[in-house]
Amino acid sequence: MLNPLRSEAEAFRFLLYVIAVVAVIIGVVLLLRAAL
Amino acid sequence: MEAASIAHAGAHDEHHGPPEANRSSRVEAPLLGMLLFIISEVMVFGSFFTAYFFIRVAAGAPWPAPGDHLPVEVAGVNTAILVSSSFTMHWAQHSIKNGNRFGLKAGMLTTFLLGATFLFIQLNEYANIGFAPQDNAQATVFYSLTGLHGAHVFIGLLLLLFVTIRSFRGHYSPEQYRGVEVPGIYWHFVDAMWLVVYTTVYIL
Repeated sequence: MLNPLRSEAEAFRFLLYVIAVVAVIIGVVLLLRAAL
Repeated sequence: MEAASIAHAGAHDEHHGPPEANRSSRVEAPLLGMLLFIISEVMVFGSFFTAYFFIRVAAGAPWPAPGDHLPVEVAGVNTAILVSSSFTMHWAQHSIKNGNRFGLKAGMLTTFLLGATFLFIQLNEYANIGFAPQDNAQATVFYSLTGLHGAHVFIGLLLLLFVTIRSFRGHYSPEQYRGVEVPGIYWHFVDAMWLVVYTTVYIL
Protein backbone atom coordinates (compact mmCIF):
# COMPACT_ATOMS: atom_id res chain seq x y z
CA MET A 1 0.00 0.00 0.00
CA LEU A 2 1.28 3.45 -0.89
CA ASN A 3 2.49 5.34 2.17
CA PRO A 4 3.55 8.87 1.19
CA LEU A 5 5.29 9.35 4.52
CA ARG A 6 7.53 6.30 4.22
CA SER A 7 9.94 7.42 1.49
CA GLU A 8 10.47 10.25 -0.97
CA ALA A 9 9.68 8.00 -3.91
CA GLU A 10 6.30 7.09 -2.45
CA ALA A 11 5.62 10.72 -1.57
CA PHE A 12 6.34 11.66 -5.19
CA ARG A 13 4.03 8.94 -6.48
CA PHE A 14 1.31 10.16 -4.13
CA LEU A 15 1.83 13.66 -5.51
CA LEU A 16 1.37 12.32 -9.06
CA TYR A 17 -1.95 10.79 -8.02
CA VAL A 18 -3.01 14.09 -6.46
CA ILE A 19 -2.04 15.92 -9.67
CA ALA A 20 -4.14 13.50 -11.71
CA VAL A 21 -7.19 13.81 -9.44
CA VAL A 22 -6.92 17.62 -9.33
CA ALA A 23 -6.56 17.78 -13.12
CA VAL A 24 -9.74 15.72 -13.52
CA ILE A 25 -11.66 17.88 -11.03
CA ILE A 26 -10.52 21.11 -12.68
CA GLY A 27 -11.36 19.72 -16.11
CA VAL A 28 -14.85 18.71 -15.03
CA VAL A 29 -15.50 22.05 -13.32
CA LEU A 30 -14.35 24.05 -16.35
CA LEU A 31 -16.39 21.89 -18.74
CA LEU A 32 -19.52 22.27 -16.61
CA ARG A 33 -19.04 26.04 -16.41
CA ALA A 34 -18.63 26.23 -20.16
CA ALA A 35 -21.74 24.15 -20.72
CA LEU A 36 -23.98 26.03 -18.26
CA MET B 1 25.87 -25.42 34.03
CA GLU B 2 28.38 -22.92 32.71
CA ALA B 3 27.92 -24.12 29.15
CA ALA B 4 24.17 -23.82 29.58
CA SER B 5 24.63 -20.26 30.88
CA ILE B 6 26.80 -19.35 27.90
CA ALA B 7 24.28 -20.88 25.51
CA HIS B 8 21.50 -19.03 27.31
CA ALA B 9 23.44 -15.75 27.06
CA GLY B 10 23.90 -16.33 23.32
CA ALA B 11 20.18 -16.80 22.94
CA HIS B 12 19.61 -13.47 24.75
CA ASP B 13 22.02 -11.73 22.34
CA GLU B 14 19.88 -12.80 19.39
CA HIS B 15 16.63 -11.90 21.13
CA HIS B 16 15.09 -8.64 19.91
CA GLY B 17 14.38 -6.66 23.08
CA PRO B 18 12.43 -3.42 23.35
CA PRO B 19 13.79 -0.39 21.44
CA GLU B 20 15.61 2.47 23.15
CA ALA B 21 13.41 4.91 25.02
CA ASN B 22 11.59 7.39 22.74
CA ARG B 23 12.71 5.46 19.64
CA SER B 24 10.64 3.32 17.29
CA SER B 25 11.94 -0.13 16.38
CA ARG B 26 10.23 0.08 12.98
CA VAL B 27 10.78 3.63 11.72
CA GLU B 28 13.97 5.67 11.73
CA ALA B 29 13.86 8.69 14.01
CA PRO B 30 14.28 11.40 11.32
CA LEU B 31 11.58 9.81 9.18
CA LEU B 32 9.26 9.36 12.16
CA GLY B 33 9.79 12.98 13.12
CA MET B 34 8.85 14.23 9.67
CA LEU B 35 5.92 11.80 9.53
CA LEU B 36 4.42 13.11 12.78
CA PHE B 37 5.10 16.73 11.79
CA ILE B 38 3.36 16.34 8.43
CA ILE B 39 0.37 14.61 10.02
CA SER B 40 0.02 17.44 12.54
CA GLU B 41 0.28 20.06 9.77
CA VAL B 42 -2.44 18.29 7.80
CA MET B 43 -4.62 18.75 10.88
CA VAL B 44 -3.80 22.47 10.94
CA PHE B 45 -4.73 22.82 7.27
CA GLY B 46 -7.89 20.88 8.01
CA SER B 47 -8.96 23.49 10.54
CA PHE B 48 -8.41 26.28 8.00
CA PHE B 49 -10.37 24.38 5.37
CA THR B 50 -13.12 23.99 7.95
CA ALA B 51 -13.29 27.79 8.29
CA TYR B 52 -13.51 28.04 4.49
CA PHE B 53 -16.30 25.45 4.49
CA PHE B 54 -18.31 27.31 7.14
CA ILE B 55 -18.00 30.64 5.35
CA ARG B 56 -18.69 29.42 1.84
CA VAL B 57 -20.98 26.40 2.27
CA ALA B 58 -22.62 26.70 5.69
CA ALA B 59 -23.08 30.48 5.58
CA GLY B 60 -23.52 30.56 1.80
CA ALA B 61 -21.29 33.59 1.31
CA PRO B 62 -20.43 34.40 -2.32
CA TRP B 63 -16.92 33.37 -3.41
CA PRO B 64 -15.04 35.53 -4.00
CA ALA B 65 -16.69 38.40 -2.19
CA PRO B 66 -18.61 40.81 -4.49
CA GLY B 67 -16.19 43.16 -6.20
CA ASP B 68 -13.15 40.97 -5.56
CA HIS B 69 -11.30 39.10 -8.28
CA LEU B 70 -8.99 36.12 -7.79
CA PRO B 71 -6.06 35.84 -10.25
CA VAL B 72 -6.74 32.26 -11.27
CA GLU B 73 -4.37 32.28 -14.25
CA VAL B 74 -1.38 33.67 -12.36
CA ALA B 75 -1.97 31.18 -9.58
CA GLY B 76 -2.25 28.47 -12.22
CA VAL B 77 1.19 29.35 -13.56
CA ASN B 78 2.46 29.41 -10.00
CA THR B 79 1.01 25.94 -9.50
CA ALA B 80 2.92 24.70 -12.52
CA ILE B 81 6.10 26.18 -11.07
CA LEU B 82 5.61 24.45 -7.73
CA VAL B 83 4.74 21.12 -9.37
CA SER B 84 7.90 21.42 -11.47
CA SER B 85 9.92 21.90 -8.29
CA SER B 86 8.70 18.53 -7.01
CA PHE B 87 9.92 16.89 -10.20
CA THR B 88 13.35 18.45 -9.79
CA MET B 89 13.37 17.40 -6.13
CA HIS B 90 12.64 13.83 -7.17
CA TRP B 91 15.38 14.08 -9.78
CA ALA B 92 17.85 15.23 -7.12
CA GLN B 93 16.88 12.34 -4.81
CA HIS B 94 17.07 9.81 -7.63
CA SER B 95 20.46 11.20 -8.65
CA ILE B 96 22.13 10.79 -5.26
CA LYS B 97 20.71 7.29 -4.92
CA ASN B 98 22.64 6.46 -8.08
CA GLY B 99 25.76 8.40 -7.14
CA ASN B 100 25.11 11.22 -9.61
CA ARG B 101 26.38 14.25 -7.72
CA PHE B 102 25.81 16.67 -10.58
CA GLY B 103 22.16 15.65 -10.75
CA LEU B 104 21.83 16.11 -6.98
CA LYS B 105 23.32 19.61 -7.03
CA ALA B 106 21.46 20.73 -10.14
CA GLY B 107 18.20 19.24 -8.89
CA MET B 108 18.43 20.79 -5.45
CA LEU B 109 19.42 24.21 -6.76
CA THR B 110 16.61 24.18 -9.33
CA THR B 111 14.11 23.03 -6.71
CA PHE B 112 15.10 25.85 -4.38
CA LEU B 113 14.95 28.48 -7.13
CA LEU B 114 11.55 27.28 -8.36
CA GLY B 115 10.21 27.28 -4.80
CA ALA B 116 11.56 30.78 -4.20
CA THR B 117 9.95 31.92 -7.45
CA PHE B 118 6.62 30.50 -6.29
CA LEU B 119 6.83 32.39 -3.01
CA PHE B 120 7.87 35.62 -4.74
CA ILE B 121 4.92 35.43 -7.12
CA GLN B 122 2.59 34.69 -4.20
CA LEU B 123 3.83 37.76 -2.31
CA ASN B 124 3.47 39.84 -5.46
CA GLU B 125 -0.11 38.63 -5.73
CA TYR B 126 -0.79 39.76 -2.17
CA ALA B 127 0.53 43.22 -3.03
CA ASN B 128 -1.63 43.57 -6.15
CA ILE B 129 -4.75 41.53 -5.50
CA GLY B 130 -6.91 44.51 -4.51
CA PHE B 131 -8.34 43.39 -1.18
CA ALA B 132 -7.00 43.08 2.34
CA PRO B 133 -7.49 40.22 4.82
CA GLN B 134 -9.63 42.41 7.10
CA ASP B 135 -12.06 43.49 4.37
CA ASN B 136 -14.48 40.58 4.79
CA ALA B 137 -14.66 36.96 5.89
CA GLN B 138 -13.91 35.62 2.42
CA ALA B 139 -10.73 37.70 2.21
CA THR B 140 -9.65 36.55 5.66
CA VAL B 141 -10.05 32.92 4.70
CA PHE B 142 -8.28 33.49 1.39
CA TYR B 143 -5.25 35.10 3.03
CA SER B 144 -5.30 32.55 5.86
CA LEU B 145 -5.29 29.49 3.64
CA THR B 146 -2.77 30.79 1.10
CA GLY B 147 -0.72 32.45 3.83
CA LEU B 148 -0.55 29.27 5.89
CA HIS B 149 0.64 27.45 2.83
CA GLY B 150 3.15 30.22 2.08
CA ALA B 151 4.57 29.82 5.57
CA HIS B 152 5.04 26.13 4.88
CA VAL B 153 6.77 26.94 1.62
CA PHE B 154 9.11 29.25 3.52
CA ILE B 155 10.00 26.48 5.97
CA GLY B 156 10.51 24.13 3.06
CA LEU B 157 12.79 26.61 1.35
CA LEU B 158 14.93 26.76 4.49
CA LEU B 159 15.24 22.98 4.48
CA LEU B 160 16.00 22.97 0.76
CA LEU B 161 18.65 25.66 1.26
CA PHE B 162 20.40 23.53 3.90
CA VAL B 163 20.31 20.49 1.64
CA THR B 164 21.51 22.47 -1.38
CA ILE B 165 24.45 23.91 0.52
CA ARG B 166 25.37 20.50 1.88
CA SER B 167 25.04 18.99 -1.60
CA PHE B 168 27.55 21.48 -2.95
CA ARG B 169 29.84 20.62 -0.05
CA GLY B 170 29.73 16.96 -1.07
CA HIS B 171 27.95 15.71 2.06
CA TYR B 172 25.66 13.06 0.61
CA SER B 173 26.34 9.65 -0.94
CA PRO B 174 24.38 6.69 -2.33
CA GLU B 175 24.67 5.10 1.12
CA GLN B 176 23.86 8.22 3.12
CA TYR B 177 21.14 10.45 1.68
CA ARG B 178 18.51 10.53 4.42
CA GLY B 179 19.12 14.27 4.70
CA VAL B 180 17.88 14.68 1.13
CA GLU B 181 14.97 12.27 1.44
CA VAL B 182 13.28 13.75 4.52
CA PRO B 183 13.10 17.34 3.19
CA GLY B 184 11.99 15.80 -0.11
CA ILE B 185 9.02 14.16 1.59
CA TYR B 186 8.14 17.51 3.21
CA TRP B 187 8.40 19.34 -0.11
CA HIS B 188 6.05 16.90 -1.85
CA PHE B 189 3.59 17.37 1.03
CA VAL B 190 3.77 21.16 0.53
CA ASP B 191 3.14 20.69 -3.19
CA ALA B 192 0.21 18.32 -2.72
CA MET B 193 -1.31 20.70 -0.18
CA TRP B 194 -1.03 23.60 -2.62
CA LEU B 195 -2.92 21.62 -5.26
CA VAL B 196 -5.76 21.18 -2.77
CA VAL B 197 -5.63 24.86 -1.76
CA TYR B 198 -5.54 26.05 -5.38
CA THR B 199 -8.44 23.85 -6.45
CA THR B 200 -10.54 24.85 -3.45
CA VAL B 201 -9.78 28.58 -3.36
CA TYR B 202 -9.30 29.48 -7.02
CA ILE B 203 -11.23 26.92 -9.07
CA LEU B 204 -14.28 25.69 -7.15
